[in-house]
Amino acid sequence: MTADRPAAPAPAAAAPGVPPTGGAALLRRALGLRTVVSTSAGLAFAALEYLAAAGLVAYVAGDSAWIAVGTAGLLALLAWGCFSELNGMFPTAAAIRLYMKRSMDDRLALTITLTYLTTIVLVVAADAFIVGTAIAHVLGQSTWVAALMIAALLAFAVATNLRGVKVAGGVQDIATSCVLAVTAVVALLALFRSHRALRFPLSPLHGHHPGDLLEAVALGVFLFSAFEWVTTSAEEVRRPRDIHRGMLIALALLVTVCSLITVAMSHVLTHHQLASAYPQLSLGRAALGQAGLWLMAAVTAVTAVNTFNGGFITASRFIYATAREGSLPAPLARLNDRAVPWVPVVALGVISLLVALVVALTGSWEVLVAVGAALEALIYAVAAYCVLRLRARLPDQPRPFRLPIPRVLGGAGIVVFGILAVTASVSVANKFDLVPLVVIALGASVSAAYVLFALPRVQAAAEAKKAARGRRRPPRPPAPTPAGPAGEPTAGVA
Amino acid sequence: MADRDEIAEAYADWRIRCNENDRLRRMLRGWDRVVHLVATDTGDRFTVEVRDQMLAELAGGTDAVADLVVTATSEDFADLFWGDLNPSEKYMSGEITLAGAQEDVMRLDAMSMVAFLDR
Repeated sequence: MTADRPAAPAPAAAAPGVPPTGGAALLRRALGLRTVVSTSAGLAFAALEYLAAAGLVAYVAGDSAWIAVGTAGLLALLAWGCFSELNGMFPTAAAIRLYMKRSMDDRLALTITLTYLTTIVLVVAADAFIVGTAIAHVLGQSTWVAALMIAALLAFAVATNLRGVKVAGGVQDIATSCVLAVTAVVALLALFRSHRALRFPLSPLHGHHPGDLLEAVALGVFLFSAFEWVTTSAEEVRRPRDIHRGMLIALALLVTVCSLITVAMSHVLTHHQLASAYPQLSLGRAALGQAGLWLMAAVTAVTAVNTFNGGFITASRFIYATAREGSLPAPLARLNDRAVPWVPVVALGVISLLVALVVALTGSWEVLVAVGAALEALIYAVAAYCVLRLRARLPDQPRPFRLPIPRVLGGAGIVVFGILAVTASVSVANKFDLVPLVVIALGASVSAAYVLFALPRVQAAAEAKKAARGRRRPPRPPAPTPAGPAGEPTAGVA
Repeated sequence: MADRDEIAEAYADWRIRCNENDRLRRMLRGWDRVVHLVATDTGDRFTVEVRDQMLAELAGGTDAVADLVVTATSEDFADLFWGDLNPSEKYMSGEITLAGAQEDVMRLDAMSMVAFLDR
């Protein structure tokens, strides 16, 4: 060792090969089960939930939507099993890149991942639209005021993100609990105050085609979409098992609340109210009069806390990491003085604003719901495929959670979610419509074009820069020659 | 495999770069954290402390409660501190693993990037 080197710190009492034990269990700040549940449920229960629930009602008879929601909940259990196994294998925020890279060609994996990111933009845009519209409606204002509200909301979300503001776990727990509890109570009150018996609660197909029920289930799956985003918090949890347990509890809560609101909406709202951009406000009015309308407007605004916080952070950090990895252009990894990747945050804000304004001016939120439902079902099918592939490719990798009977359930996941993705992508508001499919195809084409044509150039430029930089690390001095008993070198001795 | 002295030497260089970088010090405002480094191949453990926008000297062992735990090979730690390794690449390939809050991970990655922006 050279004399001018700094002194090495005193050795720690650890032996080579000892596995790391300093995981999240020893962290000063770690997330517990409650925050995992609230994060999972809060990310899924966006304001778009109310519109998707109202849209689902149209596909089934009377007040039987709970059957579609329950069926979707069972299917979501399949997705839960897949994500739990994959998260256990790769407990990191980069898990989606890791398990997809190991399951398929990296170019295909990146194309799917980038297309999937579209869902986050859609949900953020939809929430901005719904909250802006709801506030404008409560205040008795026009579409233009709603558009201004949307712009203001997104500007606020971008500004707070750029300042590195993050909603604390405790605040998120309270916000999600309030949203779910108030929504459930309002739904129950609306049902009780109607003083009417439920219509066809057990006959979803009465006067409907079986394909309608399939469509309703696809929309039902969308009600749970994003519950799996909590897996990106795998590095922060106190106990790794909290992730899959938390997702399961969140799913149970979501099934309960979503079943209640769909039944309440079908029971008390008119077709006109169901087709509006603020069915939850009408539900609030049915339950508690004008106070209920204001209450639901407030609850709608609170849902945006989770979406804007979770959506912006998840997407912008993922884009940043992918850019740092060299798979997206380097400018996307630029940081501001608060270590926030400002280019992805601003880009997400601008794209979400454009989408939200188009939706506000065209009233095409049902297309947004259909695109989101199709993409979510698609990613669930991909997760099931990854589980199957990795069972074959990495059979010995530790799996803290294992999907039972993987060939049957994994295969079923690919087929069922594949069918649901196709079904959701060709229907809008119970009518055959190719617009969602065209939107998805466009997104996938842009992603594929980038991966196939632009990415090789991005990677080549990064490699050239790296090669030109050279290495800073000094070359290691040659190992000392072992000395013989008389102090004579032994190497090379004849 | 890098020994403790090699990692200490690399860290000392990185520490100077970080502490003399005005932009990085602005980024570290209000970010007082304890980071544990665990080398998977040698079993060596170190503690890095950031306090008042400055990196402290590398300490052996991981006795204090950490905000962030970084697990990598000893070679990766040495390369990272010399600026020869992009930790995000290794992270995205699963070779570097982390335990801690996402915003803390971001700051640490920012330190590894901004300290070598002039290269």
